[in-house]
Amino acid sequence: MNFRRLAAAAAVLIAAAAASAVPAAAQPLRVCADPDYMPFSNRAGQGFENKLAQAVGRALGEPVTYVWRSTRGPGGFDQFLHDTLNAGRCDVVMNVPYASENVLVTRPYYVSSYVFVYPKKRKYDITSMDSPVLKDLKIGFEQDTPPETGLKLRALILHSKPFDVGDTPGESPAEILDAVKSGQIGVAVTWQPSVGYFLQRSYSDLTAVPLPNSRAAGTIEQYVFPMAMAARKNDPRTRDALDGAIGKSKDELQRVLRSFGVLIYTGPSDAPVARG
Amino acid sequence: MRRAVIAVIAAVVVTAAAIGYHTVAAQQRIALADMAQDSGQWVMPSQNYAATRHSALSEITTSNVGGLKVAWTMSTGATRGHEGQPLVIGDTLYFESAYPNHVYAVDLNDYHIKWQYTPKQDAFAVSVACCDLVNRGVAYGDGKIIANALDGQVIALDINTGKPVWTVHNSDPAMGQTLTSAPLIVKEKNVIVGVSGGEFGVRGYLTAYDIKNGHRVWRAYSEGPDSDTMIGAGFSGPKGAGTNTWTGEQWKVGGGTTWGWYSYDPKLNLLYYGTGNPGTWNPTQRPGDNKWSMTIFARDADTGMAKWGYQMTPHDAWDYDGVNEMILVDLNMNGQTIPALVHFDRNGFAYELDRRNGKLLLAKKFDPSVNWATHVDMTTGRPVVDPKYMTKAGTNVQNICPAAMGSKDQQPASYDEESGYFIVPTNHNCMDYKAFAVKYKSGFPFVGAIVKMYPGPGGNRGAVIGWDPIKGEVAWTDKERFPAWGGTLSTKGGVSFYGTMDGWFKAVDSKTGKELWKFHTPSGIIGNPITYTHGGKQYVAILSGVGGWAALGMAAGLTEPTAGLGAVNAAQDLKNYTQLGGDLVVFSL
Repeated sequence: MNFRRLAAAAAVLIAAAAASAVPAAAQPLRVCADPDYMPFSNRAGQGFENKLAQAVGRALGEPVTYVWRSTRGPGGFDQFLHDTLNAGRCDVVMNVPYASENVLVTRPYYVSSYVFVYPKKRKYDITSMDSPVLKDLKIGFEQDTPPETGLKLRALILHSKPFDVGDTPGESPAEILDAVKSGQIGVAVTWQPSVGYFLQRSYSDLTAVPLPNSRAAGTIEQYVFPMAMAARKNDPRTRDALDGAIGKSKDELQRVLRSFGVLIYTGPSDAPVARG
Repeated sequence: MRRAVIAVIAAVVVTAAAIGYHTVAAQQRIALADMAQDSGQWVMPSQNYAATRHSALSEITTSNVGGLKVAWTMSTGATRGHEGQPLVIGDTLYFESAYPNHVYAVDLNDYHIKWQYTPKQDAFAVSVACCDLVNRGVAYGDGKIIANALDGQVIALDINTGKPVWTVHNSDPAMGQTLTSAPLIVKEKNVIVGVSGGEFGVRGYLTAYDIKNGHRVWRAYSEGPDSDTMIGAGFSGPKGAGTNTWTGEQWKVGGGTTWGWYSYDPKLNLLYYGTGNPGTWNPTQRPGDNKWSMTIFARDADTGMAKWGYQMTPHDAWDYDGVNEMILVDLNMNGQTIPALVHFDRNGFAYELDRRNGKLLLAKKFDPSVNWATHVDMTTGRPVVDPKYMTKAGTNVQNICPAAMGSKDQQPASYDEESGYFIVPTNHNCMDYKAFAVKYKSGFPFVGAIVKMYPGPGGNRGAVIGWDPIKGEVAWTDKERFPAWGGTLSTKGGVSFYGTMDGWFKAVDSKTGKELWKFHTPSGIIGNPITYTHGGKQYVAILSGVGGWAALGMAAGLTEPTAGLGAVNAAQDLKNYTQLGGDLVVFSL
């Protein structure tokens, strides 16, 4: 492509953006979210996805409106997307893994990881799924998540206890922390952003250790996930607008995540930082 | 009641002798086997030890079946998928509904409910059950009705009162295990019980319980050291394969559940069943053959010791569980009468083996669209896999046939002694399979497979076929819009029966497949027809109540296409034909 054609293409793009800017500004940012799933979101706007939506709305100059639907009903999150975003009832879902396939994802705006959670006073030496002490502990895990596979690969699942918060409306991700606290399980392994909020506000006697990606069992185990926002598959305009807003409000988004205790994963070498 | 049963048994021996029945069960003079010879009753889930589901009743024929009418009906009180079948013992009909697993005893004289029993269950079982909350029926023996419950309980109920005599916990929902299969009672002594689920990859096992008190007699695991798999000196296959075909300690989560059907040869005293898929879903994570998943096992019914094992799908990459029924018949092949085992596997191949030693006689595709393997090497017994259809990390492998639910799932076939054909209910879906795709469970990112299922070549999603076991060919095909997820029944009257997911209950000519009669039932059918006599009249009974994996979308209220391992996409239009709800529907002339 020569310069002249590139410039022409750019001109068309700018014109299109200008043309779309007017109606877009006049319309609200329609967000689909769960009305009752802290720390992610709730109808009262108290979750971190609610706060992130406010920040993005401000960056876009658009008021935020919500379409509420449980993400934990029959069929779970996929069914939620099918009935809301992909049915055209809203334009944005705030929090999905980057590389999700049935939506258009923005660039990732944070990276976090699965973590081991156990009582501080135990001082366990746990840095990965291969840490020997795991053989002697009852391990709580959220079913159908990467730790389940990791536990299977090492046969650790034979002394574990499944939780199913992500499929059960009304249950709190803090349940697995309560199980650690009461000694029902020796260690929990769960997605950090689901429990960071609770760890920050109470459970000061528990500590969280990030779980790095691994190839130790001969296959890729992914425990670290970049997270993004999602637009409808056929709606690149909204996705592009969100990408712009993420760039503009980067600091604000990070501040919101930090205030909800979300641990930003920066690599295995930073693991000690998380011991808090 | 007891008296009535005994009177019937006495009559049966005479009937059996008069009919000159050829199934293996006739060879032993044991009460249950004798009872199974009485075509007027239906005393075992698969009708007899040989699992032929063929009745010697002939009041209903190809010429009069057009006049079949509804005789009586009854609600099951449950709405999820009804995969099982009733039993008829004396003048009482017994059946178990889908979860919450109501068990009923119904008087055939006036249809009043003699007793009803519903077990108290661990509700966590509902969250780990993979493929709807189904149940495949009760068993009878020693004056008891044996019922399996979804949460792993095996409950022996007094046949007269419906009160529990004993209860054992066969499996644990907290370990991802459930229980959906029907038990088999061997020699009125051992209750054979499998295990379903394996959601967390826990090793599968088959257990024998003493019918008197529920004490465990033996338990044979599908993987592990030979002491666990009950492989000893009498086993014809390799030793140690239950651990050395796995990496490290992965055999401990080797899967190989045993949720299908069980059959038994009294003369050889061998029990036959198949094992399911290996534990970890992703094949790249478990190099090796992963024995003894996907295997047909023959075991001594008293001791549980394995006699032979034949693995159909080594290193499974498609979820082709090997649990479908093993039908025991004598086949005339190359001028010899061979005691055979015939099995239509989820992987799309029909296997015929010498059931004495596991020697492979024939392995042919029963659906021509099957493409994951080109053929089975008759020397090694191994499938020759087409690398084009091997699932791999990060690649969306397209047009794999059959889809994960297989060319045939648990829906049991029958063996029509008159035509010599097996009447086989089949599925005809293909799939795209992408391993290692990033997904989201609300609040939790993960890596899983994205599976999309869709109709196979020709657009039909199922068919009932007549299979010629001697030629190894399909004799006739009745195409169905949806997977034929219910079982079949063949009869001496030349009529075979089956139900469809869109609600039709059909009678066809066993020789040609020609449709002779049909009736639209309250819901789609995934159950198995039975036939019995009462007051000298022949009845045909079927449980109507759609669900199961093939109808998971409707049963669980899902519309997202890739849900249920892609099953939802393949049955999205089911709602235009039927709705949920369990009913027993019984017909007569």
